Amino acid sequence: MRMLLRRLGFYLAAFAIAVVLNFFIPRLMPGDPLTRLMAVFKGKLTQSQLDGLRHAYGYDGGLGTQFWVYIRNLAHLDFGVSSMTYPAPTSDLLFYAAGWTLFLVGIATALSFGIGILMGIYSAWHRGGWFDAVFTPVNVMFTSFTPAVVALILYYGLALKWQAFPVGRAESNGVTVGLSMAYVRDVAWHAVLPVLSIVLVNYGSWHLGMRNSIINLLNEDFVILARAKGLDDRRIRNRYVARNAMLPQVASLALSFGYVLGGALITEVVFNYPGLGKFSLSAIEARDYSFISGQMLLLTASVLIANLISDVVNVILDPRLRSRSHS
Amino acid sequence: MMKPGRNLAALLGATTAISLLAGGIARAEGEEVILRLAPSHYDAMAENFNPYNLQVNASLVQDFAYLPLWIYNVHDPKHDFPALAQSFEVAPDLLSVTYHLRPGLKWSDGTPLTAKDVKFTFDYAVAHPDFPIGLDYQNAETGTGNITGAEVVDDLTVRFTLKNPDSLAHYGIGVTMPLPEHIWKDVANPNQFENKTPVGSGPWTEVKDYSRSAFKLCRNANFYGNAENRIDCLQFPQFATNEQVIAAFTSGELDWAGDGLTDPEQTFTALSPDNKYWLPPDADVDLMLNTTRAPFNNLAFRKAVSVAIDRDTLIKISTFGLTTPTRYPVGTGDAYASWLNEKVLAPYKDLLDYDPDRARQILDGAGFVDADGDGWRDNPDGSPLEFGINVPSDWTDWANAVATISENLQDVGVHATMNGMNEGAWFDAIPGGDFDAFIMYTSLDPTPLITYKSMFNPATMVPGKIRELSVHQMRMPAIEAELARAAATVNPTVQQDAVTNIHKLVAENLPVISLFANPQWYEYSTRHFDGWVTEGNVTMRPNLWVGTHERVMHALQLVPKAATP
Repeated sequence: MRMLLRRLGFYLAAFAIAVVLNFFIPRLMPGDPLTRLMAVFKGKLTQSQLDGLRHAYGYDGGLGTQFWVYIRNLAHLDFGVSSMTYPAPTSDLLFYAAGWTLFLVGIATALSFGIGILMGIYSAWHRGGWFDAVFTPVNVMFTSFTPAVVALILYYGLALKWQAFPVGRAESNGVTVGLSMAYVRDVAWHAVLPVLSIVLVNYGSWHLGMRNSIINLLNEDFVILARAKGLDDRRIRNRYVARNAMLPQVASLALSFGYVLGGALITEVVFNYPGLGKFSLSAIEARDYSFISGQMLLLTASVLIANLISDVVNVILDPRLRSRSHS
Repeated sequence: MMKPGRNLAALLGATTAISLLAGGIARAEGEEVILRLAPSHYDAMAENFNPYNLQVNASLVQDFAYLPLWIYNVHDPKHDFPALAQSFEVAPDLLSVTYHLRPGLKWSDGTPLTAKDVKFTFDYAVAHPDFPIGLDYQNAETGTGNITGAEVVDDLTVRFTLKNPDSLAHYGIGVTMPLPEHIWKDVANPNQFENKTPVGSGPWTEVKDYSRSAFKLCRNANFYGNAENRIDCLQFPQFATNEQVIAAFTSGELDWAGDGLTDPEQTFTALSPDNKYWLPPDADVDLMLNTTRAPFNNLAFRKAVSVAIDRDTLIKISTFGLTTPTRYPVGTGDAYASWLNEKVLAPYKDLLDYDPDRARQILDGAGFVDADGDGWRDNPDGSPLEFGINVPSDWTDWANAVATISENLQDVGVHATMNGMNEGAWFDAIPGGDFDAFIMYTSLDPTPLITYKSMFNPATMVPGKIRELSVHQMRMPAIEAELARAAATVNPTVQQDAVTNIHKLVAENLPVISLFANPQWYEYSTRHFDGWVTEGNVTMRPNLWVGTHERVMHALQLVPKAATP
């Protein structure tokens, strides 16, 4: 318990530091949110209009003043006003994008995990067999692909050339949003290629991780004992080996989910998918400090929470940690 | 200025010859006629239809839902388009401009649109200086601005009064898009007003089917020209990259766009027989040397720089063959072709001819020789000569152009280098004046007089207040005098004469060094509509960007292809 409290304290401190860094890091970039407007309006904005806009975005006071406004707003869970979508509050776009990213990257992560783990178990159990001989190297190959290349090949091949899938967006234009079968089908249809492009480069590492940790366990005493007891093969594989081998995998799954809110930048840009990755890229280009801070804050919070969950799960699953905290 | 980061096609390059899945989409009789257009890239649409919000997609409603008083035909100044006003006149003393509205105008909610709304819009601009309506009203505190007021003469007549006589003031007034008083009088903070149900004056005012990825503007039943409007709705789908725009054109989901495309013959027109483009010249791009410093304050040096530049390579290679040549060294280009006096300017033409030998001669003659033997020319006083040309690194075509210019100058012994930087840093460097040289755009206005006014406005040459078009910082009193002379008359002959004199003064003194003209990006599809502006049928500027007010007239002249049974 004491250990968990210590971790919690550490995470709170990390969060506080992140809050400060999230404010200052975007503002260290050259340029400001008005730069993009100047590029668009090519000399046609007057100085007083520029000053007016700077004031409207809340970037006219000193850095200190802006910082306190930022902290005060955050205390009310207010992320400020986004210069990209002015005058709409940053949270509008942030939470809209977070929803799509959770959906896209969440499903892709779950699928990668499921497929990778099952393949890992099978190829470890039958190591040296045809499945292991074919899929282990193939999956290593997929893992080493650059996400950009995979996404572009899928986009050009399946969406542009053969037009088998939509060329972008998360839903059709004009579709009625709601819990109808038609809408679910439409969203699923639009998600196929983006999900596939993430899964293809990710499931292989779960396969490898699972395969390796099973192989490490196979010579452990408890497995030998189980065999000696004459337990059947499937029971040993599923109950004894796989469950133990899953522990480190589940911990890293928790961390992967923590990073889900980082978005899938390349996939979202290629498929014009309205997620956090795409908007963050634009926010950085547009120097939209408020959106950048908001997105980084979401990411920080979700990574810290995922870490905390993984700590808790570890304590529950691993008796050794518990006894240490009692000593 | 293309953003390469968005140009994903380049990654796969020429290997992606995309086959065409042909087949026109038939339109059933009685179905809505929808024009689909993408004036700009957006990551998501915002539910904001405030015509003077510059940030989000709100400016899409300019012209289409909020008509200006008057639409200047930049391409053909003799054939302007009357819009809400059917005529206007500048008073003989040049101290006022009077607009005569069309009789019977109504806002889209049925309320009459009168001179009172126009006056309201002026007063509103004065009351909200941070709201970019763009009227140049007189500010007693700062002493800037020339319009002193707007007065209602009668329901159909509104008069703008001026502090100083100015025959050009109407160019700034006519483009104003009036706001309905009965709606906006209650809007206290216009920058924060999202105007979710626009009440407008244009042909398409009714927002339908809004989502983050598209919205429609549909027919305004009260538009004065509704009988001749053949298009029921404009649809603005969201696109974030060139590739998505091209894909949408090719599948018939987009009719009109303004994307910067590399190699359009291969990446765009090859994909569908209906995919068309035309790139008429837009405003000029110039090399602007900081003339407050040596050696840039030396005319001979500037002349040598001008003839040392290989503009053919700039156009064909550095800018991918998409820019057009500038024929005379006057800082502006063929977008103002009708203003060029070819006879007067003929003697200066050779200043744009690539002639490194002549550049070397001029430099030798002016004392720019290699004094310290390091292989580079030095200033006449013996101090070393070396400078950088500022350019945003990710504006690919410009960065290429600056690289070429630096090589050209190095060929004649001048140690010039490209000073690539982030776009934000590039803009930040402008106001202070601490730089050697910039590659810089100019603007395209209803008349070149306005462009020259921005380029030679002494108020924007003061360190701290330097603006893009005047980064050269060369005060030209003779040009200021010509601008004043043109502003003091409505006589087009005198204005033309003033422009000719300004052209001559620029060509003689080279305050800026002309490079090439940017293209007006204009892609369209003949799949669903005819009547497009084409190279053989130029009635107006064809491009779709915000600020090209002609776009609404272009849309109104389109003819839907007959429904196929």
